[in-house]
Amino acid sequence: MINPEEQSAKPPEDMIGARLDDEITSLQSQISSLKAKRNLQTATILSSHATQATLDRLRKAQTQPTPSAQADVPPDTNPLLAASTSQLLHNQENLYRACGTITTFRVRDPDPNAVDNGNVLGIRVDVSTTGKFINPYYLLLNKPFPDSELLRVHRHTLPPYIPLSSLVEKHLPTGKGSSAMSAKKAVGGKRQDLRRLVRALRGEIVAYHNRITAIKNLRKEFKLDEKASRKGKGREKFIADISAADAEAKQIRIEWVDGKIGRCVVDDDGGVVKCVVIGDEGRDREIERAVLRGRIEGIGERLMEGVY
Amino acid sequence: MPPVSIPTTSALSSAHRIPSSHPAVIKILSRLSRPSLLSLVLDWLDERNQENTAPYLVERRSEDGEEDEDAGDLYQPASSLDALRETYADLQSRKGSKRDVVDRLIEGDWRHGISLYQLAMADMQYLYDHPSSQKWSALKIVRLTSEGQEEEESPAAEPRTIPRFHPATFLRNLQKEILPDVKAHYNLDRHATLPLLLLRIFLIESPYNTSLVTAFNQQTLFDSSKTFYVAFPDDSPYVYVSLQTSPPPAGQPSSRSDNRSLRNITLGAIPKAFSRPRERYTLKPTSFSTKNLQALVERRGGGRTNAAGGGWGIYAEKKKGGADNPLKIQLPTPQTSSPDPEDTKETEDHIPRGMKRSMHEDERSVKRRKLVAQGRFGKSAKGDDGKGIERLDIRFDEVFSVSSAAGDVENDYPLADELGTEPTKQKGKRSTINLELDKSKSDEIDEEGFRPDVRVTFHGQHVFAGIRELIEAGVIDGEKMPGWMTGEEGVSVGIVRDGRIQGNKGSGL
Repeated sequence: MINPEEQSAKPPEDMIGARLDDEITSLQSQISSLKAKRNLQTATILSSHATQATLDRLRKAQTQPTPSAQADVPPDTNPLLAASTSQLLHNQENLYRACGTITTFRVRDPDPNAVDNGNVLGIRVDVSTTGKFINPYYLLLNKPFPDSELLRVHRHTLPPYIPLSSLVEKHLPTGKGSSAMSAKKAVGGKRQDLRRLVRALRGEIVAYHNRITAIKNLRKEFKLDEKASRKGKGREKFIADISAADAEAKQIRIEWVDGKIGRCVVDDDGGVVKCVVIGDEGRDREIERAVLRGRIEGIGERLMEGVY
Repeated sequence: MPPVSIPTTSALSSAHRIPSSHPAVIKILSRLSRPSLLSLVLDWLDERNQENTAPYLVERRSEDGEEDEDAGDLYQPASSLDALRETYADLQSRKGSKRDVVDRLIEGDWRHGISLYQLAMADMQYLYDHPSSQKWSALKIVRLTSEGQEEEESPAAEPRTIPRFHPATFLRNLQKEILPDVKAHYNLDRHATLPLLLLRIFLIESPYNTSLVTAFNQQTLFDSSKTFYVAFPDDSPYVYVSLQTSPPPAGQPSSRSDNRSLRNITLGAIPKAFSRPRERYTLKPTSFSTKNLQALVERRGGGRTNAAGGGWGIYAEKKKGGADNPLKIQLPTPQTSSPDPEDTKETEDHIPRGMKRSMHEDERSVKRRKLVAQGRFGKSAKGDDGKGIERLDIRFDEVFSVSSAAGDVENDYPLADELGTEPTKQKGKRSTINLELDKSKSDEIDEEGFRPDVRVTFHGQHVFAGIRELIEAGVIDGEKMPGWMTGEEGVSVGIVRDGRIQGNKGSGL
């Protein structure tokens, strides 16, 4: 029960407060959107060719010894030039990230007890899938052994379905007899090879995302994610479900409308290596052969062939 | 019900009914709050669950003899599911005591017994209502390789793939491992919010799986220690078990050690159930146990955050609007130089309340400490993120010398006092942790000098959020604080040597 006195006293204050709050939040969102817009404009202007030419001229004028040329330079040039330089650096980094996809950077470990004075080497792997760059994967390495150059994985953001540990075991051994990349290979020992590790790692990541994309496309092909709204239109659905059966998406489960269930195994390169389809009357060899005849991307097409 | 009971090795069926007068049934049901009990009952009345949870219904007939049987009862049996559903929906909207509902269930609508499935559902509901009622330990599933194989040298080499979890196969294999004189009931449930599959294993010591199962052991039956939970996170090489993994301390009564051995057998059965021919697994402890499932999913789950804790979490977090994207030409604003306006406001709110000292300090140093904390913790260890662990045990294994005593160690003492909101009372529990901490003691060689045995326990609702707040309040120097205090190592039990957690090589590897 609400006290009638309170009821009469509260609303005006509440209303004003609520209105002010609304106003504040709307203004704040406006500020952030304007700030984002300004950042975008700054970046665009600083990266354009015309601006670069002007800035080059300014830079030259600044370095010239004659006082007449120096007088032309506006007083607030230096921050502008600095911003331009950092923007160009950023553009270059982005170019490497987008095209080379593997980039490195340095990090300082904030832990005061960190090994090797907190020097950490960061490796960033940029991967794009279905036309978009997703969050990069990071691998952070340090040198924990005081008298050797051996690297070891310090932190990483790789999910468990990327077999990082077995790759590290192979390419970045830290056990007895292993030697650093720069060192000569010891007899019988293993040598660390960061390049191979990162290359293999990127391969695994890309392969994983390609498999996921292929499964997504298969679902699209059989219209599994659409609502069954258009009646009588198109061909009858004969696949009930397609999904990844394990974390690495190397096994694909296919369910048919008539109750058949299939499983196929995909290898690292995307080729279908094994397939079993079981229905009410035992295995369906015909479909199995069709699925096995090629790569993961073509499964849908080959299944369609058999039906229509 | 079959007239003859024969010892068998099969599992208990979900539809098996326990007499509803059994004290354990009442205990399990009255643990729940009234709203969740009522919603549970409505679940029992759902059409799809009728096979295992059917209520006691009597069809109204004209013959008088049938009706007289229940005529004197307080709770008249309902005639149809719909009528019963209405009754309970009505109870839901009305106020009343929980006792009435439990009575109605036991003496009325389920007077013929509560099925094991219903009990499992009730227990699960309790687990969801009280997420911190179980203590979970994360275990890693690692591949066993026999000595004959030469390609992998270490005995417990990392599996290249994550062992696949197939619920039906897993349960069948698990059943094979459970002893024949123990009957188990399994119930699998999907966690509502987290990517987890929860398995409840409920053990009864009896060779029969008929009604005789409850006839013998009225007292020992449904001891809560015979209910185990195992959680399977999606896409992750870990399992979480609600089992204690240590041997029992000496001098315990025998029934308790019986339960222990039951637990150990169950625990041992889990990796065997995962295994396949030529692919054997074993479980390895990961020094991480907490009551918080969300924290477990974060640290030992299937995502990117397993080996990027504390301040390193900024690399794993999802940036808003694809900010960390090579196609974005805007210069990134460094995170530390411009904290969100909300954050600074929060600081002003928080600090004067908690710590009186900082009131006199100027705003700049408050801001600076805030930034330091931001740098050390990133976005982790916020008090309200729900990912807090409630206990962190650390043993210091540092060489006792003048320099080290003056440095880190001294800094840590006031900390432990500050955080120890409750002094550790549970002497029994400590033994597990002591065991864990003592593990690497044997292979120590004392060359460098005297290493005193110093142990620190952090205890609280959210240990790392507490440390972060202390940094923001200026109690701890955020720059000199060792890295393990940020939680970036992802362990709840650890040995610190040279300022770093030992034995956790390369974090997550």
